[in-house]
Amino acid sequence: MLRYTFFRLVQAAFVLLVMTFLLFMLIGMMPGDPVENMLEGNPALTPELARQMRELYGVGVPLPVRYWHWLTAAFQGDFGFSSLYFRPVLEILGPALLQTLKLMIATIVLSIPLSLLLGAIAALRPGGWMDTVISFFAFASISLPNFWLSLILIIVFAVQLGWLPASGTPLAENPSLGLQIYHSILPVTVLTMFFVGPLLRYVRASMIETMSSDYIRTARAKGLSETTVIVKHALRNALIPMVTVLALGFGMLFSGALVVETIFGILGMGKMIFDAIRYVDFNLALIGLLLATIVTLVSNLLADLAYAWLDPRITLK
Amino acid sequence: MSAIDTELAGIPSAPRQTIWQLRRKRFLRNKPAVIALAILVVLAALCVLAYPYSLLMGLDPNETNLLMRFRPPSAEHWLGTDSLGRDVLLRLMYGGQVSIAVGVLGTLLTALIGVLIGVWAGFLGGKVDAFLMRLTDVVIALPMTPVLIVLGAVDLSKLGLSQALASSPGVVFLRIVIIIALVDWTTIARITRAATIEVRQREYVKAATVSGARHLYNVLVHVLPNITTPITVAATLSVGRIILFESTLSFLGFGIVPPTPSWGNMLTNAQELVISAPALAVYPGLLIFLTVISVNFVGDGIRIAFDPRSEK
Amino acid sequence: MNALVEVDNLNLHFPIDGGFFKEKLTLRALTDVSFSVEEDETLAIVGESGSGKTTLGYAISGLLSPTSGRIKFGAGLGGHSQESPVQLVFQDPFSALDPRMMVGDIVAEPLRLQGVSRAERLQQADDVLEQVGLPAESARRYPHEFSGGQRQRIAIARALIAKPKLIVADEPLSALDVSIQSQILNLLNKIKRDRTISYLFISHDLGVVHHLADRVIVLYLGRIMEIASRQDLFATPSHPYTQALLESVPRIGRGRRKPGQALKGEIPTPLSPPPGCVFHTRCPRAQEDCRHHVPELLPAPGRPEQLSACHFKD
Ligand SMILES: Nc1ncnc2c1ncn2[C@@H]1O[C@H](COP(=O)(O)OP(=O)(O)OP(=O)(O)O)[C@@H](O)[C@H]1O
Ligand code: SF4
Ligand SMILES: [Mg+2]
Repeated sequence: MLRYTFFRLVQAAFVLLVMTFLLFMLIGMMPGDPVENMLEGNPALTPELARQMRELYGVGVPLPVRYWHWLTAAFQGDFGFSSLYFRPVLEILGPALLQTLKLMIATIVLSIPLSLLLGAIAALRPGGWMDTVISFFAFASISLPNFWLSLILIIVFAVQLGWLPASGTPLAENPSLGLQIYHSILPVTVLTMFFVGPLLRYVRASMIETMSSDYIRTARAKGLSETTVIVKHALRNALIPMVTVLALGFGMLFSGALVVETIFGILGMGKMIFDAIRYVDFNLALIGLLLATIVTLVSNLLADLAYAWLDPRITLK
Repeated sequence: MSAIDTELAGIPSAPRQTIWQLRRKRFLRNKPAVIALAILVVLAALCVLAYPYSLLMGLDPNETNLLMRFRPPSAEHWLGTDSLGRDVLLRLMYGGQVSIAVGVLGTLLTALIGVLIGVWAGFLGGKVDAFLMRLTDVVIALPMTPVLIVLGAVDLSKLGLSQALASSPGVVFLRIVIIIALVDWTTIARITRAATIEVRQREYVKAATVSGARHLYNVLVHVLPNITTPITVAATLSVGRIILFESTLSFLGFGIVPPTPSWGNMLTNAQELVISAPALAVYPGLLIFLTVISVNFVGDGIRIAFDPRSEK
Repeated sequence: MNALVEVDNLNLHFPIDGGFFKEKLTLRALTDVSFSVEEDETLAIVGESGSGKTTLGYAISGLLSPTSGRIKFGAGLGGHSQESPVQLVFQDPFSALDPRMMVGDIVAEPLRLQGVSRAERLQQADDVLEQVGLPAESARRYPHEFSGGQRQRIAIARALIAKPKLIVADEPLSALDVSIQSQILNLLNKIKRDRTISYLFISHDLGVVHHLADRVIVLYLGRIMEIASRQDLFATPSHPYTQALLESVPRIGRGRRKPGQALKGEIPTPLSPPPGCVFHTRCPRAQEDCRHHVPELLPAPGRPEQLSACHFKD
């Protein structure tokens, strides 16, 4: 197990290194040159200052050379300056990551019980009307464009009914927890709607499989009540591999967060990456994307490890 | 000899139901899938009618008219006009052409890349397989939407394309198709690889090899025809995903760019419209949703119809 | 008689990936195997499951390349690279035929790979199908329309069409019903009467081997224990392993029990075969010497044609 973990860690580190190179190249091919952009916005900049700034942001040097500079600096903890915020990128990153994690954790906390409940109900009578309705809901969940759902919820609940705020960030200086939650209702609803579908399809499928297994037949034969059988045995059995599905869904959830943050004006990782790319902030875009990749890699890694740990049948090759 | 005769008597005199007849029958028994297919046909027809409709009504999808902004539905504009005075219905029809075309072409390209890589890895095995599967791992580790945005932001003129060419609608369209295929091929590659490994070990492949068949012969004659089922199912299910990718990208401004309409970019400015013209925010998304959910139901129907285990 | 194939000191090892940080293991599927197949003979290979029978068949047909040693094709074959000197018939008649191809195309495939025109090869396919007892109209049907025995006939037709000198038949009967087994056996005998062909007949079933084989090779853990003519082997088995195998068949010709059932103990893993004589862990006659020295394959006392690898052979 330890050896396996170590092997996967080495592999993930290697993937990450490859990713830094690929992303660096890609971002280098974004339009424009950040200093150009700034010069246009601020005619007071002298040519000498512009030269210094070019150096600071590493513009004008061939891409592979720049990558090497960036990499050596990065290993010393220096990820460069943001041209959008005029601050070291690492300072911007922390709060943004926190925002996104809050959003994602709230979504996961809501999605798990919801998908277990709906999945279990659907699996009770496969093909029955409850199953049909719930399956339709699951299909809707994976087919809904989440940006559109956000707009519709804003139109209905914020504009027409006026019950909820259209913005995901409270205006107050130090918002109370209640206020924060109040502002998060719509974004979290969208993300949950988007996340619960795949989970629930999974729970349903694995419940149906366990319900017809010998193991459940034995539990029934022992005379246990149907509720006990479902809750204590089938559901618990379905829960174990769900850990992996959850972790694998992390990358998907991150993608969803980007859209939702942009629409609801939440200053999280997604919006940060989006703005950085839109306003050609090379360093910020790069670190944002790298962090997103790390989050996905780590969740995939945890999924694999959890699976290997929970299911001793797979040999750790 | 008589024993042989009795055994031969078992050869059927008329061909039985072919596998395709069976699959069609099983598909047609699946009501949601059939309804979804009907909806798709209607939607596709609607999009195809865009040009005749524009002639009939004397409209141009891209001609702006600031005096005609936000008109409610009327006899000339059945669904009203948008923020630049253009006919909403006509733009929805043209936008649908773009979205559906991206979905179909993107799936074909995705399937092409995925099948090539999957068959290559699965058939050759060993180091090639290990390398290609690590590559899939890397691509799967990417957070899709952010990466699509970066790819969408890549300045093609930095790759040597002229500015005019880089921003022509054809190139923009192709670029969306290509970047989506670049991130979405992994599912099909994995499915193809698993299926290829299974077929590769079959004894008819060994028999052919003994008779002198090369890799290419085995792949073309024995492997590909025997793995069409899982590939078809996976490809159908990816159409919906690709349409969603395209609409999200276009919505964020990194996909199909105005004035060419797409269901995604028709919502780009909808945030500002939610108060003044909410209906404009409803139609395009509703059509995306309807299309994607129909495609997914049809895909599920195909999956069930093709699955031998679902036979009663 | 002329030798058709000569197998000379054949070793075939499978490298087993022990994981990224573990050392690599080697599975010794075949060790120092030497024998020859004569023209027009039926050579049977018997042995327990995992003894390397299939591996040997694949090596001879060129599907697996030897780790060391050589497989030479005699004058009658003119080298291995020439058109299909060897053909295979498999155990499982279901995965042996491509479900997406029509039977005619399946049977004609070896000719297709030799570049014979379609009309010509389909004509030949019809002929061969008739020879194996199937109506020519079978050519335009798909495999799933046929029973197991009929499929095995199709597979045999495919093996015959390129006029091979040797057919490697890997347990061609064991997946079939008993009544069908004898039909296929008769078909193989009939083919043998009609043309000059050798069979390398791999089998579990000593009854079938007694019925069909000219000579028999007994394989254990990738090594040859005994080679003898059918008469010698069944009348005066020399090697203790062969004797144990024959004891486990109550009545030759009827018993369908797998060999080795009367043997005590488990067959050792080919990942680390026992030193000395590989059979010593289960041999009733084993002595200290057997644990250290590998017995050579030498004639049994007074029977120069019967070779046996045992220090204390009969
Ligand atoms: N491709 C392979 N990779 C690794 N090991 C293999 C491979 N093919 C066969 N082996 C091993 O080689 C040994 C001999 O296998 P083989 O299939 O030749 O036995 P067999 O005598 O045909 O057995 P059976 O009667 O079960 O068909 C076995 O231990 C098997 O596990
Ligand atoms: S050499 Fe020894 S162990 Fe091997 S078969 Fe002969 S008696 Fe038995
Ligand atoms: Mg075998």
